[in-house]
Amino acid sequence: MYQYSDKDKQIVKNRTREFLSQVKRRIDGNLTEEEFKPLRLMNGLYLQLHAYMLRVAIPYGELSHIQLNKLAEISEKYDKGYGHFTTRQNIQFNWPKLEDVPKILNELADVEMHAIQTSGNCIRNISCDHLAGINNEEVEDPRPWCEIIRKWSTFHPEFSYLPRKFKIAVIASEKDRAAMKVHDIGLKLIKKRNETGFEVYVGGGQGRSPFIAKKINNFVKKRDLLNYLEAILSIYNEMGRRDNIYKARIKILINELGEEKLKSLIESKFKKFADKNLLLEEDEIKKIKNYFKLPINNPIKSSIPVKKNKEYNIWLNQNVIKHKLAGYSIIMVSLKHYNQPPGDATAEQMKKLSIIAKQYSHGEIRVTHEQNLVLPHIKNSDLFSVWNKLSALKLATPNIGLITDTICCPGMDYCALATARSIPISQKISQHFKDQSIQDKIGNIKIKISGCINACGHHHVGNIGILGLDRNGEESYQISLGGSADEKTSIGKIVGPSFSEKELIKAIQTIIETFEKNKKNNEDFLSVFNRVGIDPFKKDLYDKSNP
Amino acid sequence: MAKKLKGDSFFLSANDLKTGSVVYYNGDDWSEKVDKAKKINRSEIEEYENIAKKFEDECIIISPLFVELNDDGTIKKLRDIIRKNGTTF
Ligand code: SF4
Repeated sequence: MYQYSDKDKQIVKNRTREFLSQVKRRIDGNLTEEEFKPLRLMNGLYLQLHAYMLRVAIPYGELSHIQLNKLAEISEKYDKGYGHFTTRQNIQFNWPKLEDVPKILNELADVEMHAIQTSGNCIRNISCDHLAGINNEEVEDPRPWCEIIRKWSTFHPEFSYLPRKFKIAVIASEKDRAAMKVHDIGLKLIKKRNETGFEVYVGGGQGRSPFIAKKINNFVKKRDLLNYLEAILSIYNEMGRRDNIYKARIKILINELGEEKLKSLIESKFKKFADKNLLLEEDEIKKIKNYFKLPINNPIKSSIPVKKNKEYNIWLNQNVIKHKLAGYSIIMVSLKHYNQPPGDATAEQMKKLSIIAKQYSHGEIRVTHEQNLVLPHIKNSDLFSVWNKLSALKLATPNIGLITDTICCPGMDYCALATARSIPISQKISQHFKDQSIQDKIGNIKIKISGCINACGHHHVGNIGILGLDRNGEESYQISLGGSADEKTSIGKIVGPSFSEKELIKAIQTIIETFEKNKKNNEDFLSVFNRVGIDPFKKDLYDKSNP
Repeated sequence: MAKKLKGDSFFLSANDLKTGSVVYYNGDDWSEKVDKAKKINRSEIEEYENIAKKFEDECIIISPLFVELNDDGTIKKLRDIIRKNGTTF
């Protein structure tokens, strides 16, 4: 894992001190809310419906056991004993008091964490494949590149007031586990004629106008990465619209200018920057890469314990993945226990998980954009012991990738921007489809729920996407089908008029029945949808002659 | 604050600056207790907007808003009911 240099430590401590003084001035009446709001947002502090909300950065979703334990302590000491892991691999605390926030930031700084750039019109937390460095498919570990980009983008003086927020994801294999193509910039490490570099995608995003990112460069050399990113951001900073918040993202710029035009503007800017101060030298890259060496180096002989325990075997099958080193496994820790708000973890769960990570996973934990956690390096022979411990904490629900593994934003239960609730919807789905045999029969499916058009719950790229709306004061849910956030990224198609909260589960059940009716062999939901199209689903949902 | 208001009666609500808690104006002060909240008529909106502004300037509250009420005095909108009762799950 990356470890702070003395300079990093100093920067974060200074920032905390600065915010303490800003909070004091606000409480003393020396700053108005108008003056204070941009300052608090720069430190990840929002005002929600019931309280403040603090979003803490988890760079590229990687946590040490010490950091996870600290998050647990903070949730107990300053919040209501839980935290919410988000679709940007961050964590949110929903109830901090303003006067406590500087103390929280101070405690976070002690474990090399902060809330900088988790909000505002700047470059946000860089997202990454949660299986980075531990899968067999990748060209190389993308995490060092996330760190290099993080260093460049943190407090970048020119890019602190962009037209809108800006999100970057980095992956390194054909499989996309980071929703790379719905980011403002998506980077994919590839190998070309024995050299590794980046495919660059620009202009993806969700929200009001969803777009899939377009490939604007087939190969950017590693040494040129930062100069190329600097060129993209400079063009966006100059030309992105500041007159209309809904048209301010780079996805709109690329669509207004056209792909070719934007590409040529970026290229000419890049020519000016190339070989200048952001050129990455081999030894700098190597230095960062050293932080990300795996804590285990060699394959070992270690077998998975064979037990006649049904739950354990279902879990092994559903939540455990092969590590790239023989003898080790990766555990997907489900934060979707039935009836729990997706992505929430209690202080006790976090504390005990940090102990498990320390004892069995070389102290590492990862956060997925699908709001689950990962124990990345588990010896095969330890799997039964770890399963027992996770089960006791309700962290071994065997539903990774299944219908009850929903992605869900906080919705109207917390969020001041929401038009409807989303957590109770995910709970109803989880309750309705809880039976393991039903879940297994349905197979892989992604349901994603957002409480408003901002799409924090990624509904546009859900195989079944659910968007909460307000129809004359009543909650109403629009369903889209066929979305996907993987390597075959697609935006879902709206199936028809929306459903009331009461009608929604029946509608989802109907969709599942249509899928099952049309399923051939082992096809999953998305394959069936792509083969038969939306019409059979529409017919079954809306044809009044259907009983 | 009062731009899109419908209905005839309201509570004045806000978040407490220091804690972020939901508070209601009771005629003198702000309290988390909704049963003490002062019922405000449409004709009084402007007067209470000024009162809210004063408390905002004094750094007591932030984000003031009017909560629409039904004829029987209960809170009308789900969003405001959630603010009053807490999360629904
Ligand atoms: S999608 Fe909307 S309701 Fe959900 S968290 Fe984002 S802004 Fe809030």
